[in-house]
Amino acid sequence: MTDTPDSHLPERLTFTYVPRKGLLKLTIVNFLLSLITFSIYRFWAKTNVRRHIWSCVHINGEPLEYTGKGKELFMGALFVFLLLILPIVLIVALIGLIAGPDSPLLMIPQMIVIFGVYLFWGFAIYKARKYQLSRTQWRGIRGTLAGSAMTYSLLYFGSLMAKGMSLGWATPVMNTVLQEQITNDMRFGDAAFKFKGRAGPLYPTYAICWILSLVALIVIVALIAASSAGSTFWQDLFSESSSPDSIDKAVGYLLVGFLVFMVLTALIIPMLWSIYVAKELRTFANYTRFDGAAFKLEATAGAVIWLTVINLLIIIFTLGIGWPYVNQRTVKFVVDRISLEGMIDVDRIRQSQVPLDRRGEGLADAFDVGGL
Amino acid sequence: MTIDAIYFDGEYARDRAVTITVDGHDIIFTGDGVPETRWSIAGLHPVDPPSSGQPFRITHSSKPGARLVIRDEDFIRTLIDNHRHLRGGYSWTHLRQVAAWTLGGIIGLAALGYVLVSFLPQKVAYILPDGWRNRVGEQVVKGLVENARRCDSAAGNAAKSAMIAALAEGNPDLPPVSMEIYDMALVNAFAAPGGKIIFTRGILEKADKPEEIAGILAHEIGHVAYRHPEVQLVRLTGLQVLISVMSGSNGGDITSNIAALAALLQYSREAEREADDYALSAMQKASIDPMGLRTFFEKIRKEEGSTSKSGQSSTLGKIGNVFSTHPGTEERIKRIVPMPAGQVPVQVLSPEQWQALKAICAS
Repeated sequence: MTDTPDSHLPERLTFTYVPRKGLLKLTIVNFLLSLITFSIYRFWAKTNVRRHIWSCVHINGEPLEYTGKGKELFMGALFVFLLLILPIVLIVALIGLIAGPDSPLLMIPQMIVIFGVYLFWGFAIYKARKYQLSRTQWRGIRGTLAGSAMTYSLLYFGSLMAKGMSLGWATPVMNTVLQEQITNDMRFGDAAFKFKGRAGPLYPTYAICWILSLVALIVIVALIAASSAGSTFWQDLFSESSSPDSIDKAVGYLLVGFLVFMVLTALIIPMLWSIYVAKELRTFANYTRFDGAAFKLEATAGAVIWLTVINLLIIIFTLGIGWPYVNQRTVKFVVDRISLEGMIDVDRIRQSQVPLDRRGEGLADAFDVGGL
Repeated sequence: MTIDAIYFDGEYARDRAVTITVDGHDIIFTGDGVPETRWSIAGLHPVDPPSSGQPFRITHSSKPGARLVIRDEDFIRTLIDNHRHLRGGYSWTHLRQVAAWTLGGIIGLAALGYVLVSFLPQKVAYILPDGWRNRVGEQVVKGLVENARRCDSAAGNAAKSAMIAALAEGNPDLPPVSMEIYDMALVNAFAAPGGKIIFTRGILEKADKPEEIAGILAHEIGHVAYRHPEVQLVRLTGLQVLISVMSGSNGGDITSNIAALAALLQYSREAEREADDYALSAMQKASIDPMGLRTFFEKIRKEEGSTSKSGQSSTLGKIGNVFSTHPGTEERIKRIVPMPAGQVPVQVLSPEQWQALKAICAS
């Protein structure tokens, strides 16, 4: 840190999460202001929370800094609203008006809109990531994505199709390709990230999760069927003297069975897939290099499940108001587990020459893409 | 006082050790390859609000990418105490900005709402081509009468034409309308886009004189003349746009929902009054006794109070009948006054025609 000859030598980078006070106050003020501004404040709320969380992430003692502005997010959303959403809604409404309220033609604009959303989903992700990176600084140097959002979007769209058509089996390959595309576009100043690796090592874990999910589904259905077989369900449904009353009862059973099915699958299936998610996180970190140093992320399935479950409980029990804590926990999860194996000559990294976008995340906000 | 600090120039990631001194309204720093630099304190602002135990990071408006990191707590405290703007956090400028955008947003939405729900429907309804009005009118009718049969008989249809002709007498600007009767028990009548006026069998049965039906017909023609059904349909579309825009979804696509047709034909009190006025004026010009309409109003009102509403679960039932749904029925009835003395009422239909019309669903 001082002017000794050592400061020009490459150094090892360590990541630490140093909590700061003030997130609770931010959360409460954000909620109140969002309430009285009909949620327009959410752009500033998001910005405040990011600024807080970023400043808790220290790399070799220097915190990250979030330099985005609420107004930029607001303008991004307004821009997308006026140039995209409003015209589309008006055109769909006009078609509805011309075709008449009951016309089957109404399906066409709806389908075009759905298709468009899928086509530009990747674009929204890429642009949002680019905005966040370009507003993230460390030692005065910002990040960016130096590639094309459209290329990524087409790739993303293709990956959705491939995943769907292969019953999910293309997921490891497609995720690897997408991650490679976006990581190789990533820069910190003039220093580049590199992603290199095959999807192959992900497949054993993927196969286990896929088969376990199938087994779990079958077991859940069988359990529900077995428990309903013991009841009067079938009798009620098919007996000669099925009165409206017994039909009602049968419908009741069906409904309860369906609910149990939904709850069980919603709990068990994501838990099973956490094994794959953790494997993918570890693998992708391994495949990623920054300036010659390799990343390492110690994520276990148990930790991923714990993170997800607690985050979900926070959202449920605070009625969504506690989202800043969810973001904080997610960032802390990564920072606590990530390390960079190798030496970096930080001092010679120059500022990025990629121009800054003036607005941010409009499409991502419109699509509700998620992320931080 | 001179203190140590770290300087990032925003060009390289390299950190540089500097020393800072305060000189009046400025700070001056220099060191490790950094030439002597003078920043005005007024132009400084904190990257994050200062918090104890944390280094204080500041930047300057003349070089927004640069950062000075100060660890000397005494220096930080003195600087902040003397210059409140360095405390960071929520500022009035910030809150004013948010308030302005919120206000702008609300005004924008209100303006959009006015245009879509009030201004545009009135304008658009009169420029809609007849082909569209007929096509959409058919869809609306189909949605409301569901599977009911349309009643037709040669004599009955002749009676319908005779009744419309009787109203057209003295009313040359009467809009073109068609009168259709559907085999439904509930008592109702409504006007759909394209001048389609629908009566139920129930309303025919409830009527004792042709003047009663003629009065209702005149009222519905009033809706047609003011294009109320078309206005409502455009308004519903506007409402859908508004809901989409505000909820960020596609608004549940309410125009394609048949149940929404119910809302479609529920007019405002103002629209009902317009139709009433139109009916009274048209009946007067055609010399048709307006008291028929009044008798019918009163008959319906009496029944609403006593009997349960049969058929209210159907789509058509939900829109309520022409008279009962709005407050101010009393007032509407009172506005129907007898013909001026000396004016001789015409016979709307002959007794044979009236019988044929009432029996139109029998065949």
